[in-house]
Amino acid sequence: MSKPQKPPTCVQIEPDLIAAATGEATGEADARVQTHVATCRSCRDDFTRYRAVDAVVGTLRGETPAAADADAARARLVARLADLKTRLVSYKVFPSPLGPILIAASEHGVALVEYLRGAAADSRLFRMGDVDTQEGGGALERLHGELLDYLAGRRTRLEWPLDLRFARSDFERAVLQATAAVPYGAVSSYTGIAGDIGKPSAVRAVAQALRHNPVPIVVPCHRIVGIDGDLVGYAGDRIGLKERLLAVEGVPTVHERARIAREAMYHYDPNPDRQYCVPTCGSIFTRPLGQVRLFASRELAETTGLSPCVDCRPDLQPVLHGGPEMAPKPPDARRGRA
Amino acid sequence: MGETVQLDEAGFETIVATHHGEIYRYLRRLAWRAVEADDLSQETFLRAYRARQRLTPDANVRAWLFAIATNVFRNHARSERRRRAAHDTVRVTRRELELDGPEAEAVAGQVRTLTEQAIRGLPLKQRLAFTLRKMHELDYEVIGQSLDCSPESARAHVFHALRKIRTMLNGHALPPTEPTR
Repeated sequence: MSKPQKPPTCVQIEPDLIAAATGEATGEADARVQTHVATCRSCRDDFTRYRAVDAVVGTLRGETPAAADADAARARLVARLADLKTRLVSYKVFPSPLGPILIAASEHGVALVEYLRGAAADSRLFRMGDVDTQEGGGALERLHGELLDYLAGRRTRLEWPLDLRFARSDFERAVLQATAAVPYGAVSSYTGIAGDIGKPSAVRAVAQALRHNPVPIVVPCHRIVGIDGDLVGYAGDRIGLKERLLAVEGVPTVHERARIAREAMYHYDPNPDRQYCVPTCGSIFTRPLGQVRLFASRELAETTGLSPCVDCRPDLQPVLHGGPEMAPKPPDARRGRA
Repeated sequence: MGETVQLDEAGFETIVATHHGEIYRYLRRLAWRAVEADDLSQETFLRAYRARQRLTPDANVRAWLFAIATNVFRNHARSERRRRAAHDTVRVTRRELELDGPEAEAVAGQVRTLTEQAIRGLPLKQRLAFTLRKMHELDYEVIGQSLDCSPESARAHVFHALRKIRTMLNGHALPPTEPTR
């Protein structure tokens, strides 16, 4: 490509010459070039030519596209970013005592907590439409830490903002909201939740909605059992997880029969005086769990604003956990509880 | 329900406000049409947004964005090339249309138009290196990172580009510059 018969010194100095002419050379190279062009006419012409080219390039550098175009492009970008933000869900898979758990959150809050059985790629998250997923994110680590604290009994609440976008209907969202209101250490029933949302006959639909609970543990569907105290189901066929979560909260269960040990819990049947009872108070024990709510301890009952029944006096005759006629303790109940 | 979860996105608006103009100008120089530059700059910032958590606090945001934009453009150029190979006549029509268009007329002086043409005609890597260096004055270190090559190669690309542009302008009078010593 280079011109034939160029003297070797000129060929050799060409890179420096281009650099010097376009303001890229070091002082040393610049001096070398100046010495050379002082005596070499052909290279002096080259140098001048390159400087002229560089000057033309300089005028191009100063050119800017129409401000209106740039502004419009930026406005469109800002709109798309806003759209992306609403669709973007960050996720990460964490280890936990209950096995690997995927936590996903959007800018609005936690959208998915999922017990993984296989690869993360099989998560529900990737079957959802209208979502952009992204792995990782600083806030997820914090959520994981809080979840571990919760599972170890060091924390009784997960005060996470929720993004219920993966609930499939307003009905499901209503069920989740009502379930979220069931306090730590308390047990309610599907019938009870149906009543809470004003649809007392929608018991099966409530159970279905909780089966699809996108944020288990956070929305404590493990606190919801059948009307006769059966644990019914959890995360597919993982009743064991439900038992463990209840055990963390001190809720006794009869492991062999997969049911709540109701006889070892305090009972609350809504009454004007907001009084809670021991299970032997009147006929309360025989009433189905539709209205009756159970509590693992007096403290937990009283933190929800209830007071001891003046007839059965649960404050004087507390329910004996693990007494001879009581249900056996669940595998690792009370762990970490004060 | 309550406050939002913070996902370290504070500051991305600032990044857009600070750098969008320059990245758009860069892509406008590379792309054939304004609408392409628009799309490509959006793609650049959307990618950056997704990757923002990998950005360390001391990172050179400007260099990072140029690297993403360069990547976006190279992918675009690759698919354009394939598309054009399939519809070669379209390419010719487009090129003529661009150069006869009002945009070309607005360029002050034939030499500038020729120079622009020469830059557009460069092999892609040379063109990118040249544009990053001469239009946006990035360091060779940064240019090398954008182009997946060493700073020395980046520098060589720019020099090859200058040589070609100069050759393209042979026979054309250039505006005078101050005489050399």
